[in-house]
Amino acid sequence: MKLEKGEISSSQLMFLVGGFIQGSLLTLAFAKDATKHDLWLALIAALMMSLPLALVYITLALKFPGQNLFQINDAVFGPYLGKLVSFQYIMLFLMIVSSNLWFAGDFFLTFFFPETPIIVIMIMFAFICAWGVRAGIEVIARMSIILVLFTILIALTTFILLLNEMKFSNFLPIFDIPIHDFIQGTNIMMAIPFNEVIIFMMVIPYANKMKQVKTSVLYGLMIGGITSLIVVIRNTAVLGPLADIVVSPSMEAVRLIDLGEIIERLEALVGIGLILSMFLKVSVFYYATVLGMAQLLKLRSYVPLVIPVGIIGITLALTNESSIQFTYTAMNTYPIFSLSFYIVLPLISLLIVKIRKLPK
Amino acid sequence: MTFLLMSVFLGIILFEVPKLIRNKHWRELIVFSSLLSMAFILSLLQILDVKVPSPFEGINFLIRDVLHLNYK
Repeated sequence: MKLEKGEISSSQLMFLVGGFIQGSLLTLAFAKDATKHDLWLALIAALMMSLPLALVYITLALKFPGQNLFQINDAVFGPYLGKLVSFQYIMLFLMIVSSNLWFAGDFFLTFFFPETPIIVIMIMFAFICAWGVRAGIEVIARMSIILVLFTILIALTTFILLLNEMKFSNFLPIFDIPIHDFIQGTNIMMAIPFNEVIIFMMVIPYANKMKQVKTSVLYGLMIGGITSLIVVIRNTAVLGPLADIVVSPSMEAVRLIDLGEIIERLEALVGIGLILSMFLKVSVFYYATVLGMAQLLKLRSYVPLVIPVGIIGITLALTNESSIQFTYTAMNTYPIFSLSFYIVLPLISLLIVKIRKLPK
Repeated sequence: MTFLLMSVFLGIILFEVPKLIRNKHWRELIVFSSLLSMAFILSLLQILDVKVPSPFEGINFLIRDVLHLNYK
């Protein structure tokens, strides 16, 4: 009994991971409030610290070939405790889906459609994601190459066009912030894009070449991390202290592009890039939620669950009152909360696997 | 508004259920209907302007008020 019949190649996996990290370009804003102009340092620190954790996830996935996160939980923690752990992961993933729907809706509300009710944007976005999820992981993975290249192209073009606006003295003084804030910024960075690669324990079993999984995931992480770094450096260099205040530094920075009054107002391109890579991220999370539910309840197909889970995700997103409350949670409590899912539980799993010499 | 919501959910049922019954996927049908009724209740509460607590409030409560581990 196999829930997913598709297969993805290792280059598709690489681009899927890269696009998945790029999907968090919008949420880089949370860490900037804590770290100010040292955001790029926090980004590099978070990337370096997430590489060994990604290796932990990959090692776990490769120890149980063909089994995903929830089957591994069952094997490691036993059938009952494993189900409880899997249930918590599913709730976390569902929450991430709903919060990303909120980000997408809020972003479009702020910059493009100020008069539209947020639910309309959310429904349209969730509809596309549901369509992708119903088609299976193979379709999402095949799309990822185009979306990732498009996002990289936008990042590089805007970087080059803004070169004459950049002042690299904006990065000075380095390490002006207290170490407490730097740790917080790194933790936010790890919690929101980089450690979320744990979701790929749901996708790795469908890769066709198991030997190349490790390099693909690590290269994908580097692609996503370097794109984020380009964007962060561009924003801080162009905007300087202003980057800490504005809602979306990318939009404000790209708005400054002006080539002889012909090439102007390129921020729509940034919006397109953000929404495309966000589609990839939400789809992967959505897929993992639905697949995990089907796995937990021993169903034969995950397709019927897609629409109800999407509606639940939208209604959970609508329970948020304001982006201020949201930012508070994402900055101050969620990074700590997520540590147990992204660091503690995988390390305990790996320890149990070593002690019990699984799989037998 | 409630009528609109009900017609949307009816459309979803008409879209999904016949395939499940034809293939005799009863277990899937049970899970589908329970999840869909949960979704219906949640969206009905949204429409009737009943305040549903956000799941993030739960995280805030756990980390800030119970464990005191928050940053600020």
